[in-house]
Amino acid sequence: MDFYFGLAQLIGVHTLLGLSAYIVLLTGQVSLAQAGFFAVGAYAAGMLTVLAGWHLVPALGASALCGGALACAVGFPALRVKGLMLVIATLAFGEGVRLFFFNFDYQIAKGELKVGPVGGEGFRQIRFFPENGWETWEVMLFIWVFVAGAMALLWWFDRSRYGAVLRAVGEDELAAQSVGINLTAVKVSAMTVGGAIAGVGGGLYAHYTTHIEHASFNILLATFAIAYPIVGGLRSVYGTLLAVIFVQGILVEGLRFMGDWRNLLFGALIVLAMNLRPSGILGKGRHA
Amino acid sequence: MNRIAFAISVALAVGVAHAQDKTIKIAGFGAKSGPVRSFGVNSEAALVAAADVINKGGGVKLADGSKAKIAIEFYDDRCNAEEGISVIRRIAGTDALVAVGPTCSNVAEPLFGILQKKVDDASDSGLQFPVFTDVAIKVGLAKISQWAFRNVPNEMTMYNSLFYWLRTQYPGLKTVYGGVEEDFAHSRATWYIVMKDRAAASGFEVVGNTKWLLADTNFATQVREMKKANADIVAISAHPFSACGALKEMARQGVKPKVLVGLTSSSSMETLQGCAKQAEGMIIPTSFAPINKQAVAAAKTTANFKGAADLHSMAAWENVFILKQVMESERISGKPGDVQADRRKIRDGLAKLKTTDGLIGVTKRDAEGEADKPYLFVQAKKGEWKVLHNPL
Amino acid sequence: MLDFLQAVSDGVLFGATYALIGIGFTLVFGVMHKINMAYAAASVGGAYAGLLVLQVMAGAPPWLVFLGAFLAGGVLGWMVYALCFHFIPLSNPLATLMSTVGMLLLIDEVIVHVTAGMPQNYPAMFDDVMLRAGEFSMRGDLLLVFAVSVLAMIGLLALLYRTSLGLATRAVSQQPVAAQLCGIRLVRVNALTFVVTGLLGGLAGAMIGASVGTLSPLLTTPLTVKGLIVTVIGGLGSIPGAILAGLLVGGFENVLQLYRGVTERDLYVMLLLFAFLTFRPGGLFAAKSGRD
Repeated sequence: MDFYFGLAQLIGVHTLLGLSAYIVLLTGQVSLAQAGFFAVGAYAAGMLTVLAGWHLVPALGASALCGGALACAVGFPALRVKGLMLVIATLAFGEGVRLFFFNFDYQIAKGELKVGPVGGEGFRQIRFFPENGWETWEVMLFIWVFVAGAMALLWWFDRSRYGAVLRAVGEDELAAQSVGINLTAVKVSAMTVGGAIAGVGGGLYAHYTTHIEHASFNILLATFAIAYPIVGGLRSVYGTLLAVIFVQGILVEGLRFMGDWRNLLFGALIVLAMNLRPSGILGKGRHA
Repeated sequence: MNRIAFAISVALAVGVAHAQDKTIKIAGFGAKSGPVRSFGVNSEAALVAAADVINKGGGVKLADGSKAKIAIEFYDDRCNAEEGISVIRRIAGTDALVAVGPTCSNVAEPLFGILQKKVDDASDSGLQFPVFTDVAIKVGLAKISQWAFRNVPNEMTMYNSLFYWLRTQYPGLKTVYGGVEEDFAHSRATWYIVMKDRAAASGFEVVGNTKWLLADTNFATQVREMKKANADIVAISAHPFSACGALKEMARQGVKPKVLVGLTSSSSMETLQGCAKQAEGMIIPTSFAPINKQAVAAAKTTANFKGAADLHSMAAWENVFILKQVMESERISGKPGDVQADRRKIRDGLAKLKTTDGLIGVTKRDAEGEADKPYLFVQAKKGEWKVLHNPL
Repeated sequence: MLDFLQAVSDGVLFGATYALIGIGFTLVFGVMHKINMAYAAASVGGAYAGLLVLQVMAGAPPWLVFLGAFLAGGVLGWMVYALCFHFIPLSNPLATLMSTVGMLLLIDEVIVHVTAGMPQNYPAMFDDVMLRAGEFSMRGDLLLVFAVSVLAMIGLLALLYRTSLGLATRAVSQQPVAAQLCGIRLVRVNALTFVVTGLLGGLAGAMIGASVGTLSPLLTTPLTVKGLIVTVIGGLGSIPGAILAGLLVGGFENVLQLYRGVTERDLYVMLLLFAFLTFRPGGLFAAKSGRD
């Protein structure tokens, strides 16, 4: 049973990553910087619990703040670019964050051991959960409280005027602007909320794996961040959740009985899914 | 792969046919996807081959005196930390008694982190499951958890001995220069913690090092630095792809050190597939070469299961035999109700071991769960790894 | 100073391989306004397929391997079109973005399965030629790559501006609906664009294999990133822009490596790129702005 609880933890963490890209995608921006915010959250929370001895909950709050602040700062210059240019600009930024952590050393002595991140070798022993005796199912519930919170927030956005404004900008910027919508405010706020969600996700991720290193936050992770909402569809937050279950639950873990074919099917089934449901699992063939 | 599946199903079918036969499950895991796939494929083949040999000899003796067959089940972790954690939780949920793996140090490190740190520490809710690593080689990982053990070569001893030997063999050589794959945990640690230090300890002067990244393609600047240093010995701590790229650039720029030293993991077929011509003469310490009858037999049996024998896969082979020995000495029951107790017995048994019998000699084991394996030096010659010197 | 010049020259020459891969990305974008994320993977795949020539005919000359890669690249290009673009509505850019990412992962994994992930030695032409002037030197094989990219550019421009296929392609890229009304078969033009870029990709893959000396699935991600970077710096859809950007990226990368070391090299490249894009969002050769 622990295996399924563990898998649910992983699905929760990836759902947060996917949701962080979801809200940004609603405004029509494709951001590959989400893995960067995720990394910032991971390192922030890890350092606070391991080096400063904080409880995980305030540490995750700090992760959200760091992720959100950084995303807000990126949001302004990124406003100037659109389409593929934005994809590459955010990719460059995300990679920049990863490479920062590749060069980042900060260790303090704790007992006889030195702890903290060491550049290319990573940051080991982020063991808040086991050290405090949390069982796998307790960790799962903890993670899902955050997932449910983020989903509820975005679901509520979708029902409110703010959600309509986000989608209006995503559909047609020019039209949105001409009815008096402040593009800067909308895009930067979406980016900030996304960054904060990614920060929390990263903080949880660091405690899920107990060891983080720069290579974990590579382009592939950034690509999956946008893949979840795209594969799931942008009509509702549930699409992202379904896509994470599809990828992590079915493609990665569910297909193990296929042996060696599993790895080949991974890419092939994503291609197939996009051919069958171009607007995502939960999308109607209306628009992207 | 079909043959392995076939072998497993035959083993299972035999188990059904003789209802009194019991099976002991050992799980293997490692990378069978991505650029390091060959490691997983070879490990799996070696595990299955070793289990096959044991089963043909009757199997493992249990506490009640009956015999059980060993069944191997192998899981792919894609060399990915999250997937490695899922895999070990999945394995712990089956009736497997112990796991052998993983391939990648970046999987081993988080994975050991979710295991219980100290045995019998009730306040630590980490997973209580013994892991006996065959491949992941980054220095100093087993101390992360008392449930983690490794049977990987000790690079510190190996390079110490290699540089000492070079010192006596070529007294005229004075300087050493390093080429480091900087963004990969293993290669990086091997240069900064191991090679650099050990070369100096043997009286060589380390005149510098140059760095590149795992997926780099252009080595012009680095090799120019290397050329300027004009060292007698060049030590390359990099995995085959970038090592080959650097070696090819060295050939272009005419950098010909008197001795070329390589990274342990490069003493596999990969380097020779990529750049046999440029790697000619490279010396690497390794913990496996077919130098005696049992080593030759192990390599041959593994080849029957479509796997290549190298320092990594033969560690997997040895692990199965060590585990058999531990299971018998600790008198595991093998009954479905005693799975957790048997796992604990295996852990305690592994922790107790001071020495183990390996394919090329006796391995010493330390209190942290690490091994000090016998080793020898091999050299690339005409597309093959030839034994150059056996220091033991 | 010599170090600096040497670093620039090494980098710019190696940038020729980035330029070659960038041309393909930019061409697909120019015609269909879509990103083909699988392009670099398909190019490397083509280069691998070229190695089959050596399986069939041991000791075949390198140019035959390159020819094999060229043709295989064309086939792969068509496959990418058929599987990732043909059935997905044009109004759905996010869907084709994802389908090509899936294709990238698929091609990667097929390569891994066929070769067990082991790096493969790749034949090269002129790899033993080094042009020297005192301490200064230049790689002969990279000059060949450079020449090939220039020839490819001339060939493509000729194809676009001197043939009826080129006319149709340009018509489709500017006004797909109007082009269709004029009797141009959209699907055929799009498919042919992919075949042409695929052929070019196969050649690029072979040239990269030859200049690195070794092929590995490790190449696909960095090449995809480099290709995209080159495309945006050069200006979307601009073929000369892609070549210039490729050389620039190669040069910058190597100079930063010389002065800041390999661990910080990419960090500065990425920050420079981010700054460049925010201050000059159109790239070096910005296309005339119009409504998509």
